[in-house]
Amino acid sequence: MHKPNRIHKISTPITASEIRNLRPGDPLEITGKIFCGRDAVLPKIVTLIETGELDKLGVDFQGSVIFHTAVSPAGIGPTTSNKIEIESSIPMLSKIGVRIHLGKGSVGPDTVKALKRYHSVFAITPPVSALFSDKIVSRRIAAFPEEGMEALYEIAVKDFPAIIASAHGETIFSK
Amino acid sequence: MRIIPPMITQKEIANAVKDCLVKAGTTSRKDQLEAYETAAQKETSRNAGWVLEKLFENAQIAKKNLFPLCDDSGIPHVIAEIGNDAVLPAGWLSGIYEGISEGLRQMPGRPMAVRGNDVERVEQSRGLFKDPAKLSPAPVIVKPIPGNALKVTILLLGGGPEIRAKTYRIFHKRSMENVLKEASGWMASEARNLGCTPCTLAIGIGRTHMEASALMLEAMKKGTLRRQNRWEEKVTNWINEENVGPLGLGGKTTVLGTFINVGPTRASGVRIVSIRPCCCVEPRKATVTLKP
Repeated sequence: MHKPNRIHKISTPITASEIRNLRPGDPLEITGKIFCGRDAVLPKIVTLIETGELDKLGVDFQGSVIFHTAVSPAGIGPTTSNKIEIESSIPMLSKIGVRIHLGKGSVGPDTVKALKRYHSVFAITPPVSALFSDKIVSRRIAAFPEEGMEALYEIAVKDFPAIIASAHGETIFSK
Repeated sequence: MRIIPPMITQKEIANAVKDCLVKAGTTSRKDQLEAYETAAQKETSRNAGWVLEKLFENAQIAKKNLFPLCDDSGIPHVIAEIGNDAVLPAGWLSGIYEGISEGLRQMPGRPMAVRGNDVERVEQSRGLFKDPAKLSPAPVIVKPIPGNALKVTILLLGGGPEIRAKTYRIFHKRSMENVLKEASGWMASEARNLGCTPCTLAIGIGRTHMEASALMLEAMKKGTLRRQNRWEEKVTNWINEENVGPLGLGGKTTVLGTFINVGPTRASGVRIVSIRPCCCVEPRKATVTLKP
């Protein structure tokens, strides 16, 4: 049985000191409310930030986690974070307080730099939807219901597993 | 008097295909589970080993609860093998489509069919259908086989590998090694971006892009991680040297195995090669055999 390194237990909203303690390769378990969004809604949120209309959403992103996933009866699971719609949203979302971006796949050097600049991190998790199904305590649509499974969801999770991939300018993806 | 041979019915086909689709989406193959275990024993990185163990655990929960292995429950692909002596009812193909729809509702599949006309579907500007059954299958591949059975294989293809897969020409220079080295080179960088490693590589080698893709799909259908020929082992080892590892965390297991399917070739210096890094829960497949 492989035991991961010491697990960081993190609850949302996340503080700056908690982020300071995270290093690439560190395992963590997240408890609390997290947002779920992907290709369709993340660029829409970025547009609202750029036009100064984010308040219209009525969503507080300070200290939050955004999990790059759809939410559907088939469960949740990470989608590829290096799709342009998703990865390009990471700097702006970090700037407004998203502390953990959770998905899968590598992110590029510019994104790693932006994460460092805004004191946020990128974490990855395996696509184990059946296993995740009993980690979800509740779910609700937070915004953009017209996007169906790609709406912005808020879900409550308990001990949701992930591993830090990029933090403080360092990344597991540099060869 | 004309004797009418016994015949399976459209309804029987639909019911069998429904169960087949649910099995494909919720049940890991035995060779896959064995490969997770073997890889976990080889990994010295604790995080890499942890990922493999979570994949194994996920497979057990999915099978027990008949829950999708991955929330991207995939686009259904069908290979229908029809016995030369099989007598099929009118509407047999519609029966397969009906079974797919029912299976997607039952599993349930992810409701990811896009609404609208050509432009609206491309731009995804009218949203999605709520009904998972609106997800139509890819064009069906039909092949003859001996006997009187109808064999239907359902494969569920997720979106991540589709971003990384490639179908392109390779100048073979009369060397199998040359062809496979070049195709492996395409995947060496893609495996890192895929995220869902360890993957299984499916490779089709043919004369046209359509044929190579179909052969690649057939490689997924026929392949087993229990039996790997020397070329398949070579490709696996080449990619594993990249040290991408499970989930990109580094480690010995970027690829669990490789399935190669070579079709007819053209008198030419060119081979068309289709290669797909099937993600860590793939190939998701199941076959049902129907006989009268």
